Amino acid sequence: MGRTIKQKKLKKVLIVDDEEDMIWTLQKNLTNDTLRAEIITASSGEKALEIIKNTPVDLIVTDIRMSGMSGIDLLIEVRNNYPNIGVIVMTAYPTTESKTKAIIKGSLYFLEKPFDINEMRDVVRHVLREDSLFKGTVAGVELTDIIQINSLSRSSTVLKVRAKNKEGIIFFREGSVVHAICGEFEGEEAFYEIMTFKGGVLEGTKAGGVPTVTIRRSVEALLIEGTRRLDEQRARHGDDQELEMDEAISPDDSEWKSDTTVMLSGVATKAERGSSAIRDDVSFFAGSHSGNDGSSHIQQIKDAEDSMEGLQKLLGEFTNIPGVNTACLVGRDGFLLDSKAIAGVDTEMIGAIASSGFGASEAMGRQLGKGPLAMTMLEYESGPVMLSPVGSEAFLVVVAERESNLGMIRLKIKRHSKEIQAAAAI
Amino acid sequence: MDEGSILDIAHISFLDMIKVMIVMGGAPNAKGTLIRNAINTADRISPVAYGNFTEYLSAIDTATNPITRIEGRSTLIDGSVFGLKLCPFGPSIKNYTSLFEKLPEGYADFTAEFNKPSMVTDKFKVGEGAGVSPFCSVHQPMRSAFADKITIGGKKVKIYQLGCKSGGGKKGFADKWITESGVPRELVDKVLDDYMCCYFLKVQD
Repeated sequence: MGRTIKQKKLKKVLIVDDEEDMIWTLQKNLTNDTLRAEIITASSGEKALEIIKNTPVDLIVTDIRMSGMSGIDLLIEVRNNYPNIGVIVMTAYPTTESKTKAIIKGSLYFLEKPFDINEMRDVVRHVLREDSLFKGTVAGVELTDIIQINSLSRSSTVLKVRAKNKEGIIFFREGSVVHAICGEFEGEEAFYEIMTFKGGVLEGTKAGGVPTVTIRRSVEALLIEGTRRLDEQRARHGDDQELEMDEAISPDDSEWKSDTTVMLSGVATKAERGSSAIRDDVSFFAGSHSGNDGSSHIQQIKDAEDSMEGLQKLLGEFTNIPGVNTACLVGRDGFLLDSKAIAGVDTEMIGAIASSGFGASEAMGRQLGKGPLAMTMLEYESGPVMLSPVGSEAFLVVVAERESNLGMIRLKIKRHSKEIQAAAAI
Repeated sequence: MDEGSILDIAHISFLDMIKVMIVMGGAPNAKGTLIRNAINTADRISPVAYGNFTEYLSAIDTATNPITRIEGRSTLIDGSVFGLKLCPFGPSIKNYTSLFEKLPEGYADFTAEFNKPSMVTDKFKVGEGAGVSPFCSVHQPMRSAFADKITIGGKKVKIYQLGCKSGGGKKGFADKWITESGVPRELVDKVLDDYMCCYFLKVQD
């Protein structure tokens, strides 16, 4: 059984290792005034489980290789029975497999022995900080949103995605997706597989390290390709056209929208700025992170879907997104070229009015020397209006409700802009 | 003060407002706004029915024809080709240039924008080269929209803008509408020697 070193209203950290020297070192170095933590120790996984049965613990730091129960087994037990306890895994025998397994099973950090004790102290301090782990149920959050937020916040994090009988992990390094695992897949294939999950739970953890780098595409290109594959998959399976890819995130069907549990770390700064700030960033994500291979993907999409029928169907791509009630193609002079909208919406009026906003945004960009307008979004109390140029003679107007998925709208704008231009012959 | 030097502030403000619209919202948006305004103006007039073409021409002479009321008396040149002696915006331009010498910046871009093919210029058969100033984007669609309210012998009429001439004498030709109307380009050119505006009125079957 472990010994209590210090008792007050402090957070409790349980160190689990069968090497006494390691326990002594960590105990000594983590017990100081700046960390403000109570350190408890256990020499095995089994003893650790006994402790946490009776003592509330905030964080466990465990070795992997121990006699008896391994650190990974302990991690699994903790995750299953004490999901609120954070776990940091450490080992002197790091392998890609062990790192991956630890992260899959829910380790917050993975540290290799020998580690710099200051690094361990920083990691523990970070995990114990009240605002370092942001948990909660967030309606309307989607996988693509979280991926984009991680990218925008340049997080080095691990995003774990759990759906029915499936689990996948996406690794971020400074905002870039560098690795993914899903069942037998690794790399891009795993990423695309994860994107096909129909709802589930998202869990973000701060990663101590990425097992390996298997993905080098930009996040934007990955999302576009993932979306394209999802569409193809649905087409192959003969899904109802109206459901489209948004089925996975529709409020009626999906857990993403209505019951998504999101645990994020490393994005607290963005979160503190408020949801609108995150929304803004997400909505402008594609413009600020355009990858070199993005345009070729758009071209691929165009080639693959050249046979798509008319403008109405393309505009339907937007109105099929939950919360989007109007999609209009408007000449730059404000005259409506085509539209798809719910009953009662005056699209002619929208076109005329939006042309003022679009023209003003373009004029401002010119005057500020910002170059051509890529997209503009006006956020109102009841939701956003997004304007995006389509060729040089027209622009797209998407009117959405507050709860709509801006990231998805952005993706579809980028994806279909050239097709709309071709379909409208402009 | 000499009466001749008194300026019409409404004219000057209107011309400067066009410049502001171009700067603030771009030429396409400014063009659209002016055209929409012209169409809205036409929407506010009552439909007019003439028994035959002679009655229509008489209404021009008596200045009761809706089109005549907005642009002045036009002259029937040949068949259904009309010439307009004076540009309705002539006084405004004269007012402005007497004070500032030249028209506001951005007008050339605006005029080029009006002459570009577009859905609305197709609908009203205007522009396509027939624009020589931003005022054409008000005048030409407004005339065509007014024509939509007119019937002759129970049939709808359609106006094709064939050409226009700037105050400086530069001619603009709408080859698309010239071809579609079947009016010889030479005739349009000749009309524009003596008139500021040339259009074709078609009584539809």
